[in-house]
Amino acid sequence: MKKTVCFILLTLTLLNAKEFNAPMKTYMDTLSAEAKATNPSFTGFDALRGKAIFESVHVSKKGKEISCTTCHSTNLKNCGQNINTNKPILALAPSANAARLTDVAEVEKWLRRNFNDVFAREGSALEKGDVLTYIINQ
Amino acid sequence: MKKILLITALGLSFAFAGSVAPVNNALYQKECASCHFGYQPALLSKASWEKVMGNLSDHFGTDASLGKAESEQILSYLVTNAGSGKITANNTDMQITKSSYFIRKHREVSPKMIAQKEVGSIANCIACHTTADKGSYSERAIVIPNYGRWE
Repeated sequence: MKKTVCFILLTLTLLNAKEFNAPMKTYMDTLSAEAKATNPSFTGFDALRGKAIFESVHVSKKGKEISCTTCHSTNLKNCGQNINTNKPILALAPSANAARLTDVAEVEKWLRRNFNDVFAREGSALEKGDVLTYIINQ
Repeated sequence: MKKILLITALGLSFAFAGSVAPVNNALYQKECASCHFGYQPALLSKASWEKVMGNLSDHFGTDASLGKAESEQILSYLVTNAGSGKITANNTDMQITKSSYFIRKHREVSPKMIAQKEVGSIANCIACHTTADKGSYSERAIVIPNYGRWE
C-alpha cells in the first residue's frame, strides 16, 4: 500500500515538473555533467534541496543576515525588493514571469552574483542545478 | 563678441539648473538600473566612473560583476558622457552623494525623510525627485513621500 502511494506521489511530481526551454536544457545538462564529475553518485537535481539552499540564512559581506528570500521573498510568484536600494524585483517563478529562466547568460550572471552575495562564494554545479530546478517548478 | 561667447561657454559649462542629459543607453539601463536608480553619467566625473567600473565585483558590498564586453561598453558610455562643472567639482569619489554641491543642495533634508521606507537612502533620487529619470532635478518636481512638495 505504502509503495503504491509513493509511486502515485512520484508520478504526480514528475507530471508536475516543468520543462526548461532548449537553451536552458543544454545549460542544465552541462551542470549535470559537472555535478556527476564531482560526485559519481549524483543522480539528478532536486527541487527540495534547491528550496533549502534558497531559504538558508547566511551572514552577508555587510555583516547582516541574508538569504535569497531577503530580496526575492519566500513566494517566488510574488515580486521582491532589493534590500539595498528598495528597487522592486520582478517575480522569479516562470509561472508568474515568463521571461525568467529563458536567457542562459542572464541566469549565469545572477547565479554568480547572488551566490557571492549570500554565500560569499560561487555556487557549485549541484547547488545551481538544484536552485534552478526549484525555481522552474514554482 | 568674443567675450560674450566666452561668457556663454563658461556659463554653459558650469550650468546644471537642475537638469542633465537623460540616460540613452539601453545596456546601461538594463545592467545598472535593474538594481538601482539609473544615475545619469553627468552626475559623476570620468575619474569616478572609472573607479566604479573598475570594481564591480564589490559594488558597495554587492557583486555587480559583468562580462568584459558589457563592462567595456558601459564604461565607454559613462566616460564619454561624464560630468564636469559644479555637480562633480571636487568629487572623485564613487558616490554622487559625496559631491560638495550635492551635500549643499540636500542640507535641509531631515534624516527622518530619508530613513522612511519609501525612500530608504539619499541615493534613491527618484523617491523624491519625481522627474529624475528624465534627467530633471528641478525643485518644482520634488515631492517627498509623506511630506509633500518641497517648495
